[in-house]
Amino acid sequence: MSAATDQDVARYVERVRAALADLPAGRREELLEELPDHLAEVAAEGEGPLESRLGPPEEYAAELRATAGLPGASPGRMTAAVAGLRGRLRTVDTRFGPILGYAHASEFLRLLRPAWWVLRGYVAAMVVVSLIDATGPIGLLPRLGGSILAAVVILAGFVLLSIWLGRRADRLSRWPRRVLLAGSGLLVLFAVVGFVNADQRARSDHEVYREVYYDRFSNIRDVFPYDAQGRLLTNVRLFDQDGRPIDLGWKFCAKAPIVEKPSGVLAYPRCPEHDPFRPPAAIPRGVRADGQPKSNPEPEPVVTGPAFPSMADVVGYRRVTPCAISQR
Amino acid sequence: MDTTQLLKGVLDLAVLAVLREEDGYGYDILRRLRGVGLEEVGDASVYGTLRRLFQAGYLTTYVVPSEEGPHRKYYALNSAGRDQLTRSGKAWRSFASTMDGLLGDRGVAA
Repeated sequence: MSAATDQDVARYVERVRAALADLPAGRREELLEELPDHLAEVAAEGEGPLESRLGPPEEYAAELRATAGLPGASPGRMTAAVAGLRGRLRTVDTRFGPILGYAHASEFLRLLRPAWWVLRGYVAAMVVVSLIDATGPIGLLPRLGGSILAAVVILAGFVLLSIWLGRRADRLSRWPRRVLLAGSGLLVLFAVVGFVNADQRARSDHEVYREVYYDRFSNIRDVFPYDAQGRLLTNVRLFDQDGRPIDLGWKFCAKAPIVEKPSGVLAYPRCPEHDPFRPPAAIPRGVRADGQPKSNPEPEPVVTGPAFPSMADVVGYRRVTPCAISQR
Repeated sequence: MDTTQLLKGVLDLAVLAVLREEDGYGYDILRRLRGVGLEEVGDASVYGTLRRLFQAGYLTTYVVPSEEGPHRKYYALNSAGRDQLTRSGKAWRSFASTMDGLLGDRGVAA
């Protein structure tokens, strides 16, 4: 008889024993006394793992209870639900097996166990190192103090340990196996969270640039300043808090020449004829850009921002006549 | 009607009857039961029944070394077991003839 069969039998007996855990120990051991030899006989008579030939150990245990005249054969609602779930899982197992090319899907999954052990070692290394060395974001290698050599050594160590544990898991007794199972579950959780985070980081690189290039002034074509009386001011220059000219809007009007300053500072509005608060249809000839009729008895100079003449002198700007409608 | 339900009640008798012919080990008994037509008997049922009959004192056991595979524990009827088989056999015959009569009287096709 091969060692694999031995292991299969031992595992099966262990699970039957676990399912009968509620019985008095003496009674249970008496019942199970012959089971390893008996199952070895069963195993020797045919092919395939015991579970696929005898059904789940839990059901085997239930049948034992019923026929060996043992107490506690009435399963609680929870046990019944678990049994029902197991039954459905077995159906799924059998149904999806052929898709994967096996009689049962679980046979295929069993082949993947070593791959899982390697992956588990990697994830465990990542978790342990990130707990010890919490500086900086978590990358893809378990670097300790940024060292690649340390990362490779740690990785190899954890992977080997995980494989060793995986090969021994079947022989562990009940509680150590539960601890191992719970630990593996936590690692899966960590791996999923870490994977999603890494994906998020990889994607967010693009979003940073999109926000940097967003400009809320990009749709401004021109600037129209008005005084307290609602008159359009022309030849206004804008500067920021450091005295740098503010360059807003488009360089060209649709029809009129651009208003330029010798120093290169632009005056606003660049295109006074496009005053948004003057109805375009109602512009009579001979009306100034500020909208006041020429017949105004108080002759004013060409309208400029009242606050700016002095500044124009200081900076040495030449006043430029705005491209008024009267020029057309 | 589900045969497994019927089987539950008579598995003791079936196992005792098989052992009257010849001693046997667990898997061998299962195979012989299936061989005579009790296809649906489960491995755990046979094992459980054997353990219970042994506990009740109807069976004796002895170990036979095997060249290949594990040592086999053989089960054999003792005198208590043979008595039990006789009693159970009578009870079964009486029960079966009652059922036969019932089904025959009512004209149910057997």
